[in-house]
Amino acid sequence: MLPRLSKATGWQLFVRATLARMYPRVIGANRERTWVFFEVLLPCLSLTAYVLVYRSLHAPPALVSFVVVGGAMGAFWANVMWAMANQLYWEKETGNLALYIIAPMSMMAVLLGMALGGMFNAATRALAIVVVGALLFDVRFSTAHLPMLVLTCVLTMTALYGMGMLFASLFLLFGRETWHLVNLAQEPVHLCAGMYFPVKSLGVWVAAAASVIPLTLGLDAIRQLTIADGPTLGLMAVPWELLGLGFLVAIFLSSARFMLRHMERLAIAEGRLTQSRS
Amino acid sequence: MQFAVETEHLGRVYRPKRASKDRGDAAVRVALDDVNLQLPRGELFGLLGPNGAGKTTLIKILTTLLSPSTGSARVAGYDVAREPERVRPRINMVSGGEASGYGLLTVRENLWMFGQFYGLSSADTNGRITELVDVVNMSDRLNTKSYELSTGLRQKMNIVRGYLSDPDVVFLDEPTLGLDVAASRDVRGFIRRWMDEDPGRTTVLTTHYMAEADDLCDRVAIINGGRLLACDSPSALKRRLRQDAIFEIETPPIDATMAGHVSLVAGVRKAAHRDGDGFATLELILEAEHVIGEVLACLQRQNVQLVKLTKREPTLEDVFVDLVGRRMAEVEGVAPSQ
Amino acid sequence: MNAGRAWRSLRAAAWLGWQIESNWTDPFLFTVYSVAKPVAAAAILVVMYAVATRGDFSSPTFAYIYLGSALYVYVGAVMTGVAFAVIDDRERYRMLRYVYVAPIDFRLYLIGRAVGRFAAATASVLITLAAGIVFFHLDIHPGAIDWPVLVLAMAIGMPMLALLGLGLGGVVMQFAQQSWSVGDAVAGTLFLISGAVFPLDILPAPLRACGFVLPITYWLELVRRALVGRTGFQTFATVGSGKLLVIFSGLTCLLAVAVVASFRWCEQRARERGLLDRTTNY
Repeated sequence: MLPRLSKATGWQLFVRATLARMYPRVIGANRERTWVFFEVLLPCLSLTAYVLVYRSLHAPPALVSFVVVGGAMGAFWANVMWAMANQLYWEKETGNLALYIIAPMSMMAVLLGMALGGMFNAATRALAIVVVGALLFDVRFSTAHLPMLVLTCVLTMTALYGMGMLFASLFLLFGRETWHLVNLAQEPVHLCAGMYFPVKSLGVWVAAAASVIPLTLGLDAIRQLTIADGPTLGLMAVPWELLGLGFLVAIFLSSARFMLRHMERLAIAEGRLTQSRS
Repeated sequence: MQFAVETEHLGRVYRPKRASKDRGDAAVRVALDDVNLQLPRGELFGLLGPNGAGKTTLIKILTTLLSPSTGSARVAGYDVAREPERVRPRINMVSGGEASGYGLLTVRENLWMFGQFYGLSSADTNGRITELVDVVNMSDRLNTKSYELSTGLRQKMNIVRGYLSDPDVVFLDEPTLGLDVAASRDVRGFIRRWMDEDPGRTTVLTTHYMAEADDLCDRVAIINGGRLLACDSPSALKRRLRQDAIFEIETPPIDATMAGHVSLVAGVRKAAHRDGDGFATLELILEAEHVIGEVLACLQRQNVQLVKLTKREPTLEDVFVDLVGRRMAEVEGVAPSQ
Repeated sequence: MNAGRAWRSLRAAAWLGWQIESNWTDPFLFTVYSVAKPVAAAAILVVMYAVATRGDFSSPTFAYIYLGSALYVYVGAVMTGVAFAVIDDRERYRMLRYVYVAPIDFRLYLIGRAVGRFAAATASVLITLAAGIVFFHLDIHPGAIDWPVLVLAMAIGMPMLALLGLGLGGVVMQFAQQSWSVGDAVAGTLFLISGAVFPLDILPAPLRACGFVLPITYWLELVRRALVGRTGFQTFATVGSGKLLVIFSGLTCLLAVAVVASFRWCEQRARERGLLDRTTNY
């Protein structure tokens, strides 16, 4: 007879579940090594296209640096939308979602594990883009404000992935339109967040509205801290942007927690936790 | 006494979304209607019924995946709708044809991951995995990536996943669906052994295989159209028909109207017609043995030749026919198996 | 090839592709979705151009960039549409094995699946061009369009893109679910070497050479010329439209031969390794 087992609860269960859900992301990425080609080398090539657009127009060199930073941060945006927002729909389609729900762990642990695992992949892609940019296009980045830069990155990632968790919860009730909505959020967000140009070129009001996306403020702040002409092309002073990011962190994380519980209750009431194929 | 599973006037109604209405689907679907169950701890309980009877809906409610429309349900003493967080540490679920886990992970890695979701330590999880895969005869596949597994091995992995967390109540929703005879036998043997090891464990098994329910279950509930028609041990259910005489008559091919003539003979409680390869079978439940004479006379008057006449003991299939009026395969709308 | 079977394959796949593309939502949201993405992509380049040149939209360079960006929507839609059908059918709908064993032409099925995306892309391109005319005074006049060149370029160009997609589909068959992004990633790469938004001249020599053997390069140049005449950059300044068409046609024929051979090899390898019904849930 198998002995009865002791089981962790509370925060210990939370940590175990987070690490367990992170595992397939990290290991899966390493097992199928083609991801290096598809998610690193090929995006670097498309990034190069935008750099060459500026060069063909004889644009100031600072704008090339903008493209490199934008491309690096774009890796995180793609990860947040495809590997977070879209993910619970995908888990539902494969049958894992039901098993996650009936397990005693918190769904927030699952989302956090997905986020951390996805961040690993995205960080690798972003680092590759920065290195390629620095080597190929003679881009120089400043590290004079390293502590502020680290804080900016932490706040931006937290806000971004909090947003991803919020969307994952919202999309719990959706069917096939989830994929299309996530697909829709690529180029329009690249435009509004100023992925490849100073966001203030869009005008103050558009840029202010776009600031609800953490990418906008984070990108602008990182550019101001790492690019020589960054401050002159920035939207607002970095401390204000950090304040904005902090606000977004609080909003998105608390909203994600609330929406996850609410959507789970709604999905259970309407019977939408198992395969929908709708 | 605290029951492992308890339902009281449990019902579930599905109301269509707007898109379904646009396609002209039925307005409201009653999946479960006034289901009352009390399962003591230590019972291996079977839920038997055709596709669409409400078995999976009941399982989903009991495993906190779906809320009831009416009534209540309690598992391990906790209300599934109001206290799901107390129910979940005590249960687990395995479905037939499940494709859970991640294909790029090995069997061990997938199982380890699910073990962590239940708060087990890595050491306990790995030890448990080793013991359980040995029981289902797949120790040599622990390091195989999941996408390389056959259907049977994949289902065995799912079975191990379901038992890994040492649940008090395990829900098995058609666990042998799609498995071959040997794999099904292994799974059934595993279930029985797990139950025998600890009298506190409870299993709820849904199936539409009569033999599986007959073989494994301490009690069986027959469900059709969302309603519970009967609930008792397999032997008690069959004893309900023991005073009845059950005959099988083989004839050359006949049409359904002939079966209709036979069912009108006084003393015939139920008559089910089944076509075979070059012959037909009439399955009869008679109030008394002598009625068979009237039935044979009826066939003779219609010039139907008698090929074979058999009297047999009642099976759960007969119980189902007695309750529903048709064989399970007919209710499902498929050609009945030979 | 049996003509009836070919037509049956293409027709069924086109219907299916259109259903998958469109029936997930109401027509209004579908229109927004189909238009917003390519218009936003074009708008990114418009803003980049405005920032770099302080808004000089009257320059023929702007027409080059804008038209290239607008037309490139076809590359993403048609090419990735074909490749995406493989991974979508295999991983999400788990139908690829059933399609494969059905008595249809599998290659035409994959191409047919992209028809829905082609239709949506056409609407997007037309709207983007209209926006260019209205807001940025793009110099496109129906009376001045070189219609024969335009029709020929499109008639050869769309099958050319479908062939590229087929070749990519064969590659995609070999990999796991990361392949969801391969269509877009390859489209992005071709964006770099096809002269879509900047001239080939500024590329390093090896990449420039790749661009000159890519049929997409000639297709873009021909359609741009047909719509607005000569544009800002001078890469093909000394080459007439007729010669460009001949080169384009020749390269497309070579592409067809290469793709047919490579797809056959990829398909065979997928069968040998059991990849046609492999799912990874990654």
